[in-house]
Amino acid sequence: MELESTYEIARTANFIRSRNFTRVALQFPDELLTDSTRVVSALREKLCSLEESYIGSDRNGRDIGLYVMADTTYGSCCVDEVGASHINAECVVHYGHTCLSPTSTLPALFVFGKAPISASNCAENLSTYASTSGKPVVILFGLEYAHAVQDIKEALVVESSRLSGSTSELELHYADVMCSVMNPSENFKNSTWNMESVGSLTGSEDCGEANCTKYSIGGLTWSISEGHKIEDCLLFWIGSDNSAFANVVLTFNGCEIVRYDATENRLVTDLSQQRKILKRRYYLVEKAKDANIIGILVGTLGVAGYLHMIHQMKELITGAGKKAYTLVMGRPNPAKLANFPECDVFVYVSCAQTALLDSKEFLAPVITPFEAILAYNRGSQWTGAYVMGFWDLLSGSTVEVREQSKEARFSFLQGGYVEDLDIQENVEEHEDGGLALANVLEKALQVREKYPYSLIKGTAKSGADFLAARSYQGLDIHSNNSLPEPFLIGRTGKASGYEDERSK
Amino acid sequence: MVKFTADELRRIMDYKHNIRNMSVIAHVDHGKSTLTDSLVAAAGIIAQEVAGDVRMTDTRQDEAERGITIKSTGISLYYEMSDASLKDYKGERNGNEYLINLIDSPGHVDFSSEVTAALRITDGALVVVDCVEGVCVQTETVLRQALGERIRPVLTVNKMDRCFLELQVDGEEAYQTFQRVIENANVIMATYEDPLLGDVQVYPEKGTVAFSAGLHGWAFTLTNFAKMYASKFGVDESKMMERLWGENFFDPATKKWTSKNSGSPTCKRGFVQFCYEPIKQIINTCMNDQKDKLWPMLQKLGVTMKSEEKDLMGKALMKRVMQTWLPASTALLEMMIFHLPSPSKAQKYRVENLYEGPLDDHYANAIRNCDPEGPLMLYVSKMIPASDKGRFFAFGRVFSGKVSTGLKVRIMGPNYVPGEKKDLYVKSVQRTVIWMGKRQETVEDVPCGNTVALVGLDQYITKNATLTNEKEVDAHPIRAMKFSVSPVVRVAVQCKVASDLPKLVEGLKRLAKSDPMVVCTIEESGEHIIAGAGELHLEICLKDLQDDFMGGAEIIKSDPVVSFRETVLEKSCRTVMSKSPNKHNRLYMEARPMEEGLAEAIDDGRIGPRDDPKVRSKILAEEFGWDKDLAKKIWCFGPETTGPNMVVDMCKGVQYLNEIKDSVVAGFQWASKEGALAEENMRGICFEVCDVVLHADAIHRGGGQVIPTARRVIYASQLTAKPRLLEPVYLVEIQAPEQALGGIYSVLNQKRGHVFEEMQRQGTPLYNIKAYLPVIESFGFSSTLRAATSGQAFPQCVFDHWDMMSSDPLEAGSQASTLVADIRKRKGLKEQMTPLSEFEDKL
Repeated sequence: MELESTYEIARTANFIRSRNFTRVALQFPDELLTDSTRVVSALREKLCSLEESYIGSDRNGRDIGLYVMADTTYGSCCVDEVGASHINAECVVHYGHTCLSPTSTLPALFVFGKAPISASNCAENLSTYASTSGKPVVILFGLEYAHAVQDIKEALVVESSRLSGSTSELELHYADVMCSVMNPSENFKNSTWNMESVGSLTGSEDCGEANCTKYSIGGLTWSISEGHKIEDCLLFWIGSDNSAFANVVLTFNGCEIVRYDATENRLVTDLSQQRKILKRRYYLVEKAKDANIIGILVGTLGVAGYLHMIHQMKELITGAGKKAYTLVMGRPNPAKLANFPECDVFVYVSCAQTALLDSKEFLAPVITPFEAILAYNRGSQWTGAYVMGFWDLLSGSTVEVREQSKEARFSFLQGGYVEDLDIQENVEEHEDGGLALANVLEKALQVREKYPYSLIKGTAKSGADFLAARSYQGLDIHSNNSLPEPFLIGRTGKASGYEDERSK
Repeated sequence: MVKFTADELRRIMDYKHNIRNMSVIAHVDHGKSTLTDSLVAAAGIIAQEVAGDVRMTDTRQDEAERGITIKSTGISLYYEMSDASLKDYKGERNGNEYLINLIDSPGHVDFSSEVTAALRITDGALVVVDCVEGVCVQTETVLRQALGERIRPVLTVNKMDRCFLELQVDGEEAYQTFQRVIENANVIMATYEDPLLGDVQVYPEKGTVAFSAGLHGWAFTLTNFAKMYASKFGVDESKMMERLWGENFFDPATKKWTSKNSGSPTCKRGFVQFCYEPIKQIINTCMNDQKDKLWPMLQKLGVTMKSEEKDLMGKALMKRVMQTWLPASTALLEMMIFHLPSPSKAQKYRVENLYEGPLDDHYANAIRNCDPEGPLMLYVSKMIPASDKGRFFAFGRVFSGKVSTGLKVRIMGPNYVPGEKKDLYVKSVQRTVIWMGKRQETVEDVPCGNTVALVGLDQYITKNATLTNEKEVDAHPIRAMKFSVSPVVRVAVQCKVASDLPKLVEGLKRLAKSDPMVVCTIEESGEHIIAGAGELHLEICLKDLQDDFMGGAEIIKSDPVVSFRETVLEKSCRTVMSKSPNKHNRLYMEARPMEEGLAEAIDDGRIGPRDDPKVRSKILAEEFGWDKDLAKKIWCFGPETTGPNMVVDMCKGVQYLNEIKDSVVAGFQWASKEGALAEENMRGICFEVCDVVLHADAIHRGGGQVIPTARRVIYASQLTAKPRLLEPVYLVEIQAPEQALGGIYSVLNQKRGHVFEEMQRQGTPLYNIKAYLPVIESFGFSSTLRAATSGQAFPQCVFDHWDMMSSDPLEAGSQASTLVADIRKRKGLKEQMTPLSEFEDKL
């Protein structure tokens, strides 16, 4: 049965059974939600039949609670641990596209799904392209194609024998899927978190631990021998042009990358659009440097270490003499972010594959924690290296004591030197504590008195500053008038045309 | 052969009455640098013999190669006057020693920002005019600029040697030419009536005009000759001076002066008789090697030659003889000392132009009195690259007080607002340096009235700044310089090797510093942009960037790019409406073009957001026919809160309107920066808020709902008001002989330019042509023009105005629509414009 194999019902049932979970959350992305009921019934059936085979078991398959979770608060690629905890789930089964970000509290099983692919066509494209480029090839794939890697490998052998030895010169490295079952790690810094590899899908490449460099991105891991640099390799991506691919392109922006589109059975070698994204990010970093008020957007409540990252960002921003506000608002959209016009830039703390939020529609740019470190850590420079996930940033080395640079900062947006807020000043403000708001308000009001009709607003350095500069600051309270206002009847009807407008 | 030491120089710096700060200004190729060199030669930094052959002031290799000056160079000169020559000097002085701080500036229009920077820190200007070419475009421009800064000019008619050697014109004809040159210059100066500065016109008979031959190192003023003849005729010098110019004729036969040519063959104009002819005679005698005749003549003039110089022949002999007889330095330096103001004199009237703050505070008074004991007021006008790579000298002028090594100074940048902390630094001066030709000498301190270079402040000053003492917290800055050119031509640069990016970033920082005009920015697409005044300017900038500031790392530059503006032609054809994301709020707006001249008035700052609304509405009502009440309902200007677009509230009786004002303004600032056509800045559009429907609950009409909606409705109203592109247009001035006119016209036609003025220069075969030329067509214009006119025409381009492109960018296939598509492609946007339906909503 097709459903059974794509949703790996048997493996899932074994996973639940072997660990004796009684409450299981099944997380579906929006596009797979239609299958959820069928998956649940298939799973339930399977679980029942498993129970029956264990004679003498006091438990019934019916006792296991299966819950479908949909419409996740943040990106559907991450495990929604908060959602799962609402039903006190003991584990999560995640379906569909995933970023394989580590979880913090719950064990998770990932079902990638199986997208159709023509292995022979892919192998043919690969070998022709690789033999012309002559570089060592690293084969990466979208997780939904993980099932087909073995086939492709075999097809390649056939292909190479057909091309009589031309592939023998080719150096191929296959990526492995890191894991498909994840156990939470209390200490996220301990990078040897428990994972149960589904067994090497590619057959072990047998290289000693000592002389190879390991790479991992978006749930894939591979290694190349010490003598080679990743920049010299050709990255061959099998899969669609999704965020996982964008992640790879940005992270390995020094490599030659080609993409094999499995739905159209063709190679895509023009990646200028993706390259442009990188330059655009560079601009956003420069723009972020000019910001005074920064909003930290919480984009995940599940990815391990997110709290550390938020703290690290706060420290970084205040260290740079700027003001940070933390905002939790689910998935950000232009209308939500525009409610905070005082923020000059937002830092979006989320998993690697949802981190890139760039749209012309946003009033203020949204950057990743890595970019924030570039922007606010004096002395760090854009070198071309790019990190998407914040996992690699948590090493702690980035928040070392920054030496106060001697030079004023040069802003490329204004084409000149600009002065950042003095850090000293900020400290004083903190000491004022509760009075700070009042003081700032008072100060701002005094300044306004000087130019009462000025249409110019100074640059705000905190939310209070910004409010003080606004022409409308909320309802006026007339303390001298204690009489209640007369009752007024408002508009009625629908927003698309209120009743009083209908007549027009 | 250094005539003075740094200590000696420092000593004279205290004599504020004996200092002259002056710049040398002229049209390109009129001989500024050559003339300056002969002055430098006299001050003893280079040997007298090589003056005229080596351009001391052009210190860069590319300058020497191209034969033009690119950067202005400052030199301090020392000159000791004799008692005899000073006996008529009426002004204050301390002894006979004079210090002249001279700045040689470039003549090409692309570098006129350098001239602006030079003028700011000087009090006088030596205007150099080629006696054959006369007053040219750039002469006029820089002269106007100088007068605007209240700089007193003196004139020198240069390249006299051309009259004698090349053209061989006779005396009367030469006189007429000189007379015309001086008159032309005076016409320009006469337009500047300034009671404080007084009469700024120049008169040969008053000694404010010199005649020079920079290449040969000689010059004279009528004073020289008057002195010579005064005793002979038994009249005083001033009387003699008057006779040597204008309608004064002398007949040696009758020994009588007349005010008309008597018609007798021996009757000649005084100038011709006593100045021109003797020089001509000497030159001819030298050129013909008639040494037997020469020595007695020289003896009569009191000129003694060294014995080894007597062996020289022909041109070399002539040069030597003339230099000995009429040394350029003596004539010019004495003219400057006599007729240009000392700092203490000049600052009395310049303080109004210089100081931004109240003119009666003690900073203004210190500047006015040039008080060395007063608070420090120092203006840094430019940054000069130092010999150790990456560092810069801050070069400027001390207007009051003293600046010394180790002094803690307040650095007020161009965006500093008194009372705020923006653009303000307190740092120490590491060293104070004065310039002596190619050498820099460190001195303990520099008092007011002098130019100075400071070490150790370069990391806080981008281009210019005002410095005061640390304690002087209430000082206002010195007014920012106003440039006559603007950076309209842009190129995108990137490095060939991606890992060189930090080098590029560092290089761009330095480039931005080294040149007062260049602007280094970054585009939305992440490309680094360098903007300059013209093609030549950019070329020089890119060369500097690659060779000097990036240590030779290779860069790739794009083709020159011009930025456009978006505007509208008519009022929106209907009131457009956009709904907020929650559909509960609706904004109704219309766009209309601003009245003619209004955008320019906003550019010039005559109308702006900081104005008193009463004044603003008065100007709007009187000059632009606005309704008085309406003028009070301007919500904001944009982009950047000061740009030439605005939002006007036309609503009547809308509830909660005040609540959304900030949100609409935010949306407008955003939208006016990136127009709907090609995300270029908008210009000259007035947006009228016609009606607003808002949700009754405050939470549903917050910024999140209104800001994006305001942006959309602004785009929609722009698109319904016949949007158009504006392109930048140069004013081109070309000087060429008649036979080159055909070529000029055909090149201009081919480049979409049009001539609006053609004038023959009186008394010359030269024509002066003024034309408008779109900046986008100007790339390669110079070389095409030169090719088409066999090198006879030389254009000078200055940005003039924005011109509307008549074709409709919304019509597929039109010129404007291809342009829009190109821009969008370059910026990495979708090539298709977002259609109106995306912005406008229906009820």
